[in-house]
Amino acid sequence: MAVYRRSRRHRFLLVLLVLSSITVITLDFRGQSGGLLDSVRNSARDAFAPVQSAADRVFNPVGDFFGGVTRYGSLKAENARLRDQLSEARGESLRQAGAERELENLRALQDLAFAPGMAAESARVVSTGPSNFQLTVTIDKGSDQKVDKGMPVVTGAGLVGRVVDVSRSRATVTLVTDRSSNVGIRFQSSGSLAIARGAGAGRPLPVDLVDVNTPVAPGEAVVTSGLQDSVFPPDIPVGRVRASKVQAGALSQDVTIDPVVDFTRIEFVKVLLWKGQP
Amino acid sequence: MTADARFRVPLVILTALIVDMSVLSRVRVAGTMADLMLLLAVAAGITGGPSRGAVVGFTAGIAVDLFLQTPFGLSALVFSIVGYGVGTAESGILRASWWIPVLTAFVASAAGELAFAVIGSVVGDSQLLTGRLWLIIFIAASMNALLAPLTVRTMAWAFDRDPTRRGYVV
Repeated sequence: MAVYRRSRRHRFLLVLLVLSSITVITLDFRGQSGGLLDSVRNSARDAFAPVQSAADRVFNPVGDFFGGVTRYGSLKAENARLRDQLSEARGESLRQAGAERELENLRALQDLAFAPGMAAESARVVSTGPSNFQLTVTIDKGSDQKVDKGMPVVTGAGLVGRVVDVSRSRATVTLVTDRSSNVGIRFQSSGSLAIARGAGAGRPLPVDLVDVNTPVAPGEAVVTSGLQDSVFPPDIPVGRVRASKVQAGALSQDVTIDPVVDFTRIEFVKVLLWKGQP
Repeated sequence: MTADARFRVPLVILTALIVDMSVLSRVRVAGTMADLMLLLAVAAGITGGPSRGAVVGFTAGIAVDLFLQTPFGLSALVFSIVGYGVGTAESGILRASWWIPVLTAFVASAAGELAFAVIGSVVGDSQLLTGRLWLIIFIAASMNALLAPLTVRTMAWAFDRDPTRRGYVV
């Protein structure tokens, strides 16, 4: 009898906890932003920020070490390839010094670099989200530095993702490879528009809505389209076409893109202080 | 719960959260990391029974939910059920060998990750049911199984229990 009563007490506790969880989930859905839960979450993130930064400094080499161990094979191949490229590059660098100066002048003249004249905030990536299902990183700038939800995040190479959550000193960035991510893109050569979806860590981005008649060449550069009401400003590099295939009878092409940014080793990023079309 | 446990359990949860976010989130195999907070619930169920499993699961879940973009409370819901389930299943075992907690951690973690994805997609996060779900579950469960002996010991210490008493000698 005693055993039975005890197990009933356990069960009562479980029901209580389950109901609390469901209540919290419901509250989270109803109070879209600025609610009590949001402020609890944001204060917790801010309070945790110093600990996170300290831990990040200490444990950064750990990640590098494990990254190296699990990718030893590819690192070796990469090393050989890089040596190869280096010798090539040495020869070419002489030749290109002149061209580079020319290009720089042209850039200054035409303002071709992406995000021209846009205010930006540099930030450090302090951690990757502790999740197996969502690809996010946390950066060390928040609303105190005018970072806000929806702002695009880039590196020197190109598009990283966009800010989805912001507390006073931290912001969470969803990467373009996350499955919830959609980016409006434009193919550089043909100028046609499409949408690139995220497909998970380390995977190329599948592209939707590419017309069969659009010529798409592998290696072709792809940039953000920046159409009206787009979430990204135009002409930020997204990636290069990896492959394109037209299936017989299909109405659109199967195109995949390799992102330009290496998401396994982003350390510094820039948040473009940009909120929709002016 | 002794006075010591009242202090130690939150300490363990907080430490685990820091380790989870700063170390484990960097040690990824095929993009997948161990789920230490879920493992805490499992370990609490093994060492402390259903109630403690559920309470530790709930607390650890809320703690990690603060840093996730998935619906707030989802981890708390799943982890408290897992902690309770493990506590109930383990209470019948009197004398166990070292591999019982390891196997328990594997099975319970796999169930927990699956439940997370399924319940998550029911409450509206359709991104969770991916084609790679089985791979994610397998890797996360294996990594949790590896971490299980240490975590169970730590949890036994937090509950101020003699880890050799109930047979989970690891």
